[in-house]
Amino acid sequence: MEASLTLKKVGKLIGDKTILAGLSFGIERGSLVAIVGLNDSGKSILLKLLSGYENPNYGQVFVQGLDMEKRRSETRKLIGYVSYENDLDPWLTIKQNIRFNANLYSVDNKLFTERLKKYSSALNLDSYLNEYAFRVSGGIQKKAMLIRGLIHDPDILVIDEPTGYMDAESIRQTWDLIKELKGKKSVIYVSNSLAEIEQAHDRILVFHEGRIIMDGHLDKLLESTLDYHQFQIEFDNLSDELYKTLKNIATIVSPNRMDNTFHFYGRTRTVFFDAIKAASDQMMIDLDVKKLGLRDLLDSEFAGRGLE
Amino acid sequence: MISALIKRRLWLWKNRLIPSIFFYLLLPVFTFAIISLPLKNIIRFSLSETPYDIWVLPGLIFIIGSFSLYPLLYREYFELRIHRKVLINIALTPYSKKFFIFSSLVTSGLEALGMSIIGILVYISFTSISLTISSLLFLLLCMIIYLLLLGNLYITISLLIDALTTMFLISSMVFILILFGSGFLIEFSFFPIGLESFLKWIPISIPYQVYHKFNSTGLVDWGSLSILCILIYVWILFNSFILKRRLNQ
Repeated sequence: MEASLTLKKVGKLIGDKTILAGLSFGIERGSLVAIVGLNDSGKSILLKLLSGYENPNYGQVFVQGLDMEKRRSETRKLIGYVSYENDLDPWLTIKQNIRFNANLYSVDNKLFTERLKKYSSALNLDSYLNEYAFRVSGGIQKKAMLIRGLIHDPDILVIDEPTGYMDAESIRQTWDLIKELKGKKSVIYVSNSLAEIEQAHDRILVFHEGRIIMDGHLDKLLESTLDYHQFQIEFDNLSDELYKTLKNIATIVSPNRMDNTFHFYGRTRTVFFDAIKAASDQMMIDLDVKKLGLRDLLDSEFAGRGLE
Repeated sequence: MISALIKRRLWLWKNRLIPSIFFYLLLPVFTFAIISLPLKNIIRFSLSETPYDIWVLPGLIFIIGSFSLYPLLYREYFELRIHRKVLINIALTPYSKKFFIFSSLVTSGLEALGMSIIGILVYISFTSISLTISSLLFLLLCMIIYLLLLGNLYITISLLIDALTTMFLISSMVFILILFGSGFLIEFSFFPIGLESFLKWIPISIPYQVYHKFNSTGLVDWGSLSILCILIYVWILFNSFILKRRLNQ
């Protein structure tokens, strides 16, 4: 598939600290890409580079084959950026803020009206359009920023925390819109909500200390790196002897205990039955099995070790 | 971009219509009442024997323009910048920083010029002072050059400073310079010789001197005006460089 955005050995330094270290990757046209990582890992800086807000110290960013630094005015029309913080003009109404952007990008009146109507009804923002930006809640401001980022119909949408400050209904509306845009536009976003990322992505880039340590669809990432299940058995009384017996079962991975609860991982569900068999004469209170998700994947990676 | 910025200013005006009209009418009256009325009792005539209230009128117009321009550029380049609003969004649009600086100078300059014209109308309505057409047109030309220079100065200050207290201190010094060191209210000859020659060469005081020269001799100092135009261009380049640095671009 054709690349929408390409980074070639891109690096960013702040002072003498390396924030991004020689990143190289491409983003396919029309894909929905999530970027995850610890706080301060450089995710937001990466978004700023992708949006053209900041320039890299070295390397190149290409937007649809155009060098972002050399073809600035052309590439900027292709990108819509929604920052994490509210950056609306507080003394303009929501509609005026969006209109201002439309004017900056020379969007004609008819197209502006059409797009505003389409996006504001999708995000249920109609009743807030004539409110001052400083008078509405953070969630409404974020929705307004999203529409503002879309009003010039960019091919690439870069969003820092798409659902920041939003209530449950707004989160649903926002993801419905973003998923609808997917395919027509490339959407790249950073989010700390792992549950939302699990639901909405074609690809996840896991970012750590300025590098991409994992890259792919969640299923693929879990398949290649973990493919584990997490198990939990709560006993009436988990004695040291019982814990030792369970711990020594060969198929059990990474066992640990918390009071009377025994936690462990295993590649297949049959591991669970090995544990049940070994503790069949003990009183069990609760059982829990779950397939590992993004959080477990990140926890294991960021702890600096795999489950092995 | 200029039309987008002008429309935004019009919306801001519309959103605060009553306070805006009130302040824009109050400013010339306030300036006249607080500055001109008492000063004419101290300095009765200019050094060229012109009655002070007549001599000072163009200076008051320049002062009104200066004070009208300040909040517009302070808002754009200091307040909104330190609160991380709007400026980032504008910086992402397909325009160069140079063009953005130029556009905001034109937009805010037009508004300040409009304020100055309101000031002229207010003074002409309430006093017996009159201006000839040629004098008025040349006053407006000098005002435009002055506002572009002063706007650049305001932008430089607003971009270089991050702390509000420092901003107030520096702004206060600039206001004192405008009020008393630009020749608007007190003629340069009242200053000690060394200070006089220094103040005369400050770029923001030159357009007013050119205007006064035209008023008294009928000669236009095109040389000075041309140099000032070059300075405005260079200053725009300098400000766009600072803006780029401030935005890490």
